[in-house]
Amino acid sequence: MSIKKFSIAVLQIGFLYAVYFIMDQAAQALHLPIPGSILGLVLIFILLQTGVIKLTWIERGSNWLLAEMLLFFIPAAAGIIKFKDLMMTNGWSILVVILVSTLIVMMTAGMLPLLFGRQKERNEG
Amino acid sequence: MITAIAYLLLTVLIYWGSKRLYQIKPIVLLSPLLVTPLILIFILVKADISYDAYNTGGKWLTNMVGPATVALAVPLYKNFNVLKQHAVKVIVGTLGGSVMGFLASLGIAHLLHLNSSLMSSLMLRSTTTAIAIVVSNQIGAISSITAVIVLITGLLGMTIGPLVIRTLRIRNDIAKGVLLGTSAHNAGTRKALDLSDVSGAIATISMILSAFLTLGIAPWLMTYL
Repeated sequence: MSIKKFSIAVLQIGFLYAVYFIMDQAAQALHLPIPGSILGLVLIFILLQTGVIKLTWIERGSNWLLAEMLLFFIPAAAGIIKFKDLMMTNGWSILVVILVSTLIVMMTAGMLPLLFGRQKERNEG
Repeated sequence: MITAIAYLLLTVLIYWGSKRLYQIKPIVLLSPLLVTPLILIFILVKADISYDAYNTGGKWLTNMVGPATVALAVPLYKNFNVLKQHAVKVIVGTLGGSVMGFLASLGIAHLLHLNSSLMSSLMLRSTTTAIAIVVSNQIGAISSITAVIVLITGLLGMTIGPLVIRTLRIRNDIAKGVLLGTSAHNAGTRKALDLSDVSGAIATISMILSAFLTLGIAPWLMTYL
């Protein structure tokens, strides 16, 4: 990656960070129950749709952030050591609840669109 | 300041190393999201470093989840036309999945005799962290525990999601997106982007939608318990 491309990506990430930061401050000031990151997502989407900002202004930085998103979860994941006692006493139960209910969500959320799709196609056909 | 930067670099370095390892041997157990925190925890314990000290550097990375979530606007914008065509399927799938998720977690937690505060945290499991914390405070769950449970759900969801998709033989990009976005918030959405751009955009919508559903339904459900 050339230095120019790199600086563009860094600038775009700075811009996205600023959007997040401002929306987060606004959400806190107005006591909104919606997180700043979701407000920022919706705002940027609207600005793109209305043509106020162009895709090329943020595309490179966005791609980089999305590609490295896993890295951003890691410090929080290591934070689980702070809950050693809870995990020792209830860890297995917690894992069972998470695993089974996640499987149920996945089956429901994954199959409903398919059922619905087929129904509609049949009606149309 | 210098130690904070050192912790940050250490994290990036281990992450980079485990990503390499995963490229050589791509099995679920070697996923960077499992390996990196485990190595980090091992180092912190062995070197007797407290998590709070480590997190002076670590939190800079955690802060980037915010702008990365904002960046999801890009795949959403690029695939908005596909989304519009499939709006009903996405809404039905997300709503059904979320409601089943609330009921399943409450039911199983009850069977396992977990206390009501833990039950509330578990119910908020599949929504994005910030929403889960806000609702936690409303319904008497402990927000830091909710955050950990949300995180475990994300890691677990993005790991088993592709397996579930294979087992159920789901070939439809829309269904894959709804499945991952509804069940495993940001982490699932990130995984959906690996599958296809369309799945990623659909997962983004499902994630946002399920966040709002949690906000609307969870506090109301808890008043009945």
